[in-house]
This record gives sequence, structure tokens and C-alpha cells, in this order.
Amino acid sequence: MAQSVRIQPDLQFVKELQAVGGESLKKCYQCATCSVACPISPASNPYPRKEMVWASWGLKDKLINNPDIWLCHNCGTCSDLCPRGAKPGDLLSALRNMAYQRINVFPTIGKWMSSPKYLINLIAIPAILWAVIWFISANYYAGSAFPVGPDGEIVYGNLFFGDYFIDPIFMLTFFGMVACFFKGTRNLIKSFKPEGTTLVLGKQKPLLLCLKDVLFEEIMTHKKFKDCGDDRSDRKAGHMLVFYAFLALMVVTGVVAVGHWGGYLFHSIAIHTPLNLTNPIKILANVGAIMLIVGMAVLTNRRRSQEDAKTKSNYYDWYLLNVIWAVALTGVLSELSRLAGIPQIAYTVYYMHLVAVWMLFAYLPWSKLGHVVYRTVALTYVRHMGRR
Amino acid sequence: MAEKIGVYFDQSALGILDGEELAAHVTSKFGASCPVAKAFPVLAADSARAEIRADIEENELDGVLLCGATPRVDWDLYDFEGVIVDRVNLREHCVMSFRDADGSVPAAGDDAPELLTLMAKDYVNMGVFKLQKTGVPTPPEFETVKTIMVIGGGWAGLTAAKQAADYGFDVILVEKEAELGGKALGMLKTAPLEYPYTEAHATGIEKKIEDVTGNAKIKVITGARLEKLEGLPGQYKATIKGEQYPVGAVVLAAGWVPQNPKVLGPMGYGSVPNVVTAAEFEKLAKTGALTAKRVAFILNTSMVDGGDIYAPVCDEEAPAEAEKAAEGEETEKAKYVHKDLESVRHLPISNAVSSVVALKQANYVCDTFEDGQAFILYDSMVVQGIHERYYKAAQNRLGIMMSKAEIKGVAADGDEIIVSAGNTLMGGDIELAVDMVVLPTGIVPATAKDPIMNFVYRQGPNFPDLDLFEGYADSNYICFPYETRRTGVYAAGCVRQPMMLDAAEEDAIGATLKAIQCVESANRGVAVHPRSGDLSYPVFNFVRCTQCKRCTEECPFGALDDDEKGTPLPNYSRCRRCGTCMGACPERVISFDNYNIDQIGTMIREVYVPDNMEADGPRVIILACENDAYPALDMAAVRGKKWSPYVRIIPVRCLGSVNAIWVADAMSKGIDGVMMLGCKYGDDYQCHFVKGSEICNRRKDNIAETLNRLGVEPDRVEQYEVAIDEYDKVPDMIEEFMQMIFEKGPNPFKGY
Repeated sequence: MAQSVRIQPDLQFVKELQAVGGESLKKCYQCATCSVACPISPASNPYPRKEMVWASWGLKDKLINNPDIWLCHNCGTCSDLCPRGAKPGDLLSALRNMAYQRINVFPTIGKWMSSPKYLINLIAIPAILWAVIWFISANYYAGSAFPVGPDGEIVYGNLFFGDYFIDPIFMLTFFGMVACFFKGTRNLIKSFKPEGTTLVLGKQKPLLLCLKDVLFEEIMTHKKFKDCGDDRSDRKAGHMLVFYAFLALMVVTGVVAVGHWGGYLFHSIAIHTPLNLTNPIKILANVGAIMLIVGMAVLTNRRRSQEDAKTKSNYYDWYLLNVIWAVALTGVLSELSRLAGIPQIAYTVYYMHLVAVWMLFAYLPWSKLGHVVYRTVALTYVRHMGRR
Repeated sequence: MAEKIGVYFDQSALGILDGEELAAHVTSKFGASCPVAKAFPVLAADSARAEIRADIEENELDGVLLCGATPRVDWDLYDFEGVIVDRVNLREHCVMSFRDADGSVPAAGDDAPELLTLMAKDYVNMGVFKLQKTGVPTPPEFETVKTIMVIGGGWAGLTAAKQAADYGFDVILVEKEAELGGKALGMLKTAPLEYPYTEAHATGIEKKIEDVTGNAKIKVITGARLEKLEGLPGQYKATIKGEQYPVGAVVLAAGWVPQNPKVLGPMGYGSVPNVVTAAEFEKLAKTGALTAKRVAFILNTSMVDGGDIYAPVCDEEAPAEAEKAAEGEETEKAKYVHKDLESVRHLPISNAVSSVVALKQANYVCDTFEDGQAFILYDSMVVQGIHERYYKAAQNRLGIMMSKAEIKGVAADGDEIIVSAGNTLMGGDIELAVDMVVLPTGIVPATAKDPIMNFVYRQGPNFPDLDLFEGYADSNYICFPYETRRTGVYAAGCVRQPMMLDAAEEDAIGATLKAIQCVESANRGVAVHPRSGDLSYPVFNFVRCTQCKRCTEECPFGALDDDEKGTPLPNYSRCRRCGTCMGACPERVISFDNYNIDQIGTMIREVYVPDNMEADGPRVIILACENDAYPALDMAAVRGKKWSPYVRIIPVRCLGSVNAIWVADAMSKGIDGVMMLGCKYGDDYQCHFVKGSEICNRRKDNIAETLNRLGVEPDRVEQYEVAIDEYDKVPDMIEEFMQMIFEKGPNPFKGY
């Protein structure tokens, strides 16, 4: 590199980084133990050593345009071995947290997501939304706040009508989220692109093929988690359980939605909820729920037993864990209380479930779960550029 | 001189050697001069020592020779009042290291091979003859002055003065400036001196000054220099402001001067505005005149010094000076001309201090401005000891940024200065826009600029060989850090080595203790160091002296002055008892009561040399420096190394004390080779007496000439350099030498 780069440290940026989980970053003395220790860092220009010095010098441009932060799978080996307690792993996750704020539209939500003091705002939106629906439905349609059928059975659809409330709202939310991700992904890729052009030697694989490779070679198999070290197998197991649980629940939701809406057109494929417990779809749903809870228990336990001196969990970590816990527990509890036939509890819990699920999906691009998309994008991008 | 000697063998140290047989050998060889010769199962046992005491009483012994382990162990056990005690090292240098002529090693329980017994007998004989030539030294009476003079009233000097006064000594403190305090007065803060060592604070120099000025035992003379220092430790006469003061010993804490910043020209000093030195920056900070918000502290000075502190300085004036020196030689006693030893090297040498100072001053920037930015660009951050905590704290500070960097240029750009650097940790080349650039200040010791001490010594007013240390007044930096090359003068603080206040304080206390030890030792007529407590001293037989001046010139410590004619005038308390003068003297005028030419010469002559080298093997004498080479041989033996059964090891105080006559004696006796094992010499010398092995090496050339004339191959005498930890290499050196001797064949003088 013959061209000199004018360095302009942005100390405000360093402060912000320290606030979102990188508080120890200045302790680094550049021994590069982290880059050597990292099991998955590439051989050329390895992370996280260079990110540490960029952060300590406040080189904002270099850091925010850097796809490497997404290559890290946060196993914590670097932080464990760091002789100075500078926690390089935490810095990279702080940088990702910062990216969630920076690349997404509606930066206000990103700001609300960054600190517990705004949590109430995040909860208030779905809480009010669903409370209003509950109120309207109870007063004008269901006739009761806790309606029961003739045999005392509880059908959530009788209060929160799928066709009129749940599905349209969630579809809107879902497609809104997808739109946000689309915009965010474009921003992300734009930030990776260096000024001028990069010369790529050899034949470049098409982007879509790279995406396919990433999905099948890395994400489905959780290969990077394995590469991160076998001693952290609980992490891989936990993450994989949660991942496949969500996949299962997504399939369930998809099948039910198709069956429900498609049922209006083709009666033969109509599915009516609640499903019988022996229905394969219901079995898949319940297995998914159990997998989710077991996986979450493993991940939560791991995070709780982490030494703060080595790796410190930040608010983004805890927010996501707690929201998923809320989704899983309220989901299971609403099923159980429905089967138990206690309408007051069942409807209240179901209401909470709706609030939690909406929070999970609506805020997804700004939360840590945004990595589902952004990490996939980054992995695909670097694969496309030939950085392995 | 011991006349009735008891010889005792320690069977527990003799292995397959038979102590009784050796005792019988002593009785038959020495008869009445060794009335007692016996072997004990364990010599260190109380009962054995009680028996020796009884023997001394009964037989009126005046010498005891203990044959067993190396004299380096259990030396505290064998203290018998009124007799001379000596040891023969039969364990390490004989039994343990024995290897037969064919290379075989005898097993436990075997009979002792003939060569082993021969060797043991040689060592025992040498031991007895040595004792017979050993006298008891009676040091001269000596009155000392219990006054410590401290040169320099800075941080180190003030500490030393207070310390000496606290120990009950009178102190004279000489400061060249009008007020006390030195460099610390000009500092805004010091790098932390106390727990938790993370924040700079005020130096506290005012308190130190108060402690000294308010102390009745300390006489402070400001605005003065030491004009003359004559005499010897314990009885110095110091001339200050024309007045003479009696002084016992001196702590030299004359400090340093900032290096001339002109050397920093290539980095923009003098041409780019707002490029200052660390010393100037400190002044700005002290006066509250800091206005620069973005400051680059450049520690990498390779633009100026080439980055290699070991590279020789190219001295443009060298030829002119050589001419001057040549002229000087012609006019014999030329007046001393001080050579200014300041050089560009003082910059990299001061790096350890510059690094911490940069940390401190970077903190000043952030203390002064909330959004201050301080950049430290280093080649290597040298942060010693506890300062690591300060480094960590500074690193963790938001506004302080550090990187390794090669500086490519410092240039003005409007109001800004652009620092360009390559090879940084950020990757690639960078440019940095700053408001001010701070370059390090080289610490030039006062002794580089001026012969501070003004000794009235034959060897001149300044310390010798200061050019080896860029002017720093340090002599033996490995073993004895405070000692200078002049006994009685102990250096502390930056005059010795670049250092921070904390190290200077420790230094001052150490040097003060050394000075006190010196006064007390002189008072008792014993050596101060490194042969602490040695009662012996060089005795001159002036009748034979030819005034050749070799001893006065070669003494590494300037202990010998001389009179008009050139007769040496010894100054006992300046002497370190190394014997370099004894080794120098061609007339063998100089001796110690317990170490002399005749003694070692007799030992060499008494080694049994068989006439037929082919049949009975050669004989080789090893003269081993007792400080490093001898312990290395001991350690080699303990670790199971073996060497030739034909060598005989004789310890010497220092290779500097080896007199050519010993080699001549050995050669005329028919000994096939002489190995001299001494310390490393040169710039990184390890000699206890600084010059010993170097001088020996120089004398070897003369010895070679003599041998050539006699028709003996000069390479039969060889000097080897051994460090104390090179026990693994010593046996190979012996092997190499023996191979050479076998190739050469017998000494032509054999059998005469």
C-alpha cells in the first residue's frame, strides 16, 4: 500500500463502542495472540488484532466497512487467551451491535434496542396494539374478555381472530421486516465495497452459488461452530437446537398458514386450529417447542457461567435471550393452560405470547437476531470475494 | 608461612581414592613438616573437627590442609583459630571429573587407577607447598574519616545525603547550581512512585530538599564543584571552593544534561515550528503553557540514530584527535584533555526513560484537554518493572493512542504538522495531523561532559574507559552496579545509567551503603569489593624496583601513584587486591602474604612431570580464574563432565595476576602446555577486576615472543574465555587444547 492514509481518530466513536460491549478495547497491546488463537480467522489479514488497534485509534471508517466482524462466531477463545483482558471477542460483538444500529432503517429503533432504559418503549408498542385488539374483540365480537366454547374449550381464535387480526398484522410485520432487511442488506454490502474497485484474481463464483454454499456448508451444519473448538460443543448443540427449533416452528407456521388460507380455495387442504395432539404438524410444533426450550436452557446456562473477566455478555445478548424465552415460555404455557381449561390465565398468557412474538419479529433487524440475515450476507460476500 | 601442617582427607568426598593411602604418601614425602596426616570418614562431622582442634593443640600445628570437596562449599565449617587453613579440591577437580587415558571412567568400588592416584598426589603436594608459602597478612593501621561526600543535589544526591546522615555519617553535599533539587525541580509530575502505580503525581522534591537542609549532619555547599579529590578512600581530601575537607567516601550523583537537540534536526527540530524535545515539553507543562490538543510523541528515532545502538558511531573528528594524541605522547605527561563523549547514541540508550516520559506527557495532554489526543509512535516501548502498570493505565486512556511506526517525515502544513509513518500496526502507511511533535531527550551523563571528580591520581582526573559506556560512570554493570573504576566513589542515578526517579532513589541508597562499607572496610584495613574482607594487600620490595611503571599503568583502579622517579606509591584502600600489579611486574617486586609469585611458582614446579610423554602422558597446567572459570569447572564436574587426567588446575585471583615467570617456570620444568581460563573481555567484559583477562591476553603476546626465542611453540600457552555458566563448554575447551598438545608432542625442554 503505497498510498498514505490520513488518520483521524474519532474518540466519540470509541466511547460508543465501549458503551455497546467493547469497554475493554483500549487494554490491547497488540501482541496478536488473538489472531493466532482464533480457529477460524483467515491466514491473510486475520482478525481480531487489526480491529483492536483500529478501535483503540478510533478509526471508524475502517471498522464499519469491515466484513470480518461477521466472520467471527464469538467462541471467546481470543478473549480467554488475551494476556491483557482486552476481550477482542467482545469488541467484535460490540461492532456487530453497532452495525445493527447503523445499517438498518428507522435508527430510533436501533437506539431503543441499545439500552435497557428504552425497553419499555419496545414493549409498549405491541402491548398496546394487542390490548386494543383484545378490547375491541371482547366488546364487539367475542362478548367476553375470556370466551369459552360450549364444552368449556378454549379457542384463542375466538378472541384473537386469525383472519382479521393475527394474520394480517403478522403478515404486515413480517413483510415490513423483510423490507427492512432488504434495505439493511443493501447498506451492508455497500459498506463492504471499498472505494474504487477490488481486483479479484481467478474465476469468481456467482453470488447465488456462494449463498447456496454458505447455507449448506456452513449454516446447516454449523461448521464454524465446530471449527471454533470442540471444547465449546455445548454452544454448538444449544445454537443448533434453537436454530432447528425455529426452522421447525417456521414450517409449522407455514403449513398452518397455507392450510388455513388455502383452505378457503381448496377445501381438501384446509387445516383448522387447534390441531389434534396426534396430528403430525402438531407433533412437529411440540417437538420444536421442546427443542427450543432445551437449546435455550443450554445457551442461557453457558452465558450465565461465563467469566465476566474473560467474556462479558452485553445487553444485546440478554435482550435476545429473554425475548426468545418469553416467546417459548408463553407459547408453551398458553398451550398448557388452554388444555387445562383456565380461560383467565390462558388468554392472558396468550396475549403475552402475542406481544413477545411480535417483539421478536418486528424488531428482528435491529436485534442481535439480525445476524440471521446479516452474517449470512457477509459470509456470502467474503466467499464471493475469495476471502476464506 | 606454615611450618607444621596437619593434612586431613575427607573419605566421603574421595570416592574410589583411598584417603589412608594418600595420608601415608604425605607422611613419607613431607615427614616432619606434616606431623599429622589422617583420613576421616566424614570431615564435616563435629567429631572430626574436634579431633583436628586437638591435633592443633597437641602438635602445635600452624597450618591445616583439608583435602576433599571444593573450597567453594562448607567454607564456614573450617575455621580454626590461629592456624592457616587451606583446601585441596580432590572431589570436583580430581575424582568426579576423572577419565582415564583411554577414556574409560572407573566404576564405584574399583581400585583407583594409577593416573587418578598420581593426580591426587600432585594436588595434595601442591596444597602442602602452597601452605608452606602462605603467610598471614597484617594490614596496616588506618584511621578513616566518617564523612560521606555527595556530588550532586538532585533527586539521587538528596536521597543519598539523607540516607548517609540517617546512618550516622557526616555528609558534605556539593551542588553546582545555586539551589538544590536538580532536574526534578523542573518536572510537573513524575511517573508514579507508589501503589497503585497508575497515575503520575507531584515529585515531592520540596520535601527532600527540606529534609536535607534541615539536617544538622549535612553540610550543603551550593554553587560549587569538586575541584580536587586527592588521597585514598577513608582519607580523601576534597577541595571545594578553595577549601579542603576530609572525606571518607564519595557518592557520585552528578546527574545528566539534556542531549543537544541539534541531533534531532532530521526529524524537524529547528526547522518545523512546534517540534520540541521532551525536556522542553515538560517545561511547557510545568508553566501551564500547553496549547496543543493533538500531540505526537515520537519515540522511534531511527531517522536520527539508524535504529541500531550497537552500530559504531562515525566520528568525523577522529583523525584530528589521533594526531593530537600522537603529539601528546611525544610531550610525555601531556595535560589531561577531556573528550566530550556526548553522541547520538544517548538517544536510543535513553529509550527506557523516554518511553515512560512519553506516557507521562501523553497523560498531560489528556489532563489538560478533555478531547486531547496524544499519539505515541515507537519502535519498541521499553517500560521496565512496575512501570508496566502505568503503561497499562495510559493505554486504557481514551485519548492516548500508540503504535509501532517507522517515521518517514515530519513536515509543517499550515498550522498543522504532518507526521508520516510506515509499518504501523494499523497496516499500511499513515499520515497524522497534529499540533505539536515531541521528540525524546537523550540523557547525557555529567561525566561525559566533564571530569566531575577531578581525581589527583596518576591515571588522570576522570574515570578510565568511560568511552566504553558512552560516558556513564559505570564499571561492572553485571556484578557490582554502583562501583566505579575508582574505589571509594559510588555512582547513583542518571550519571550511571538513564533512569527514572524511583530507580534513582534505590540507586542512591545502594551507593550510600557501598560508600559506608568502603569507609568501614578501609578503617579495618580490608578490601571493600569484590574481595570483601580480604586482609591481604600488595607488598612492594622496592629494592629491586626498576621504576618501569608497568604496575602503575596497568592497575585497573588507579591504586598506584608514583613519585618523580616513577617508584610506585601504593594507596592501600584504593586497592581491590586483584594482583594485576603482581602479574605486571617483571622484577617480581610485588607480592601478597597469602598469594605470591614464589607460591604459585613452587606449586607449578612441584607437579610431577614424567619424562616420557608417549608412555606416561603429557602434563598441562590450567591457571583458572577463581571467580568464574573455577566455579564453572566445579559445576562441570558436578554435572558429570569429565576431562583429561593430565591437567592440573591452579586457581588464580584473576588472570591479570598471572606473571609471565609462571609460564616460563612451567615450560622449563617440561610441562607441555599452559591453559589460562579467564573471563570474557572487551566491551561486554565479565572480569571482576574489569581489565584482568584483557591485560593477560595482551601480555600473552610478550610471553609468545619469549617462548619463540626459547624454541618452544608459543601456542603451548593459550587463553580461553569462559563465562561462569559455561560449564558445558569448559570440558570441550580442555579437550581441544589437549588434542593440540598431543599433536605437537612433548615439550622440548622435557627431561632437562
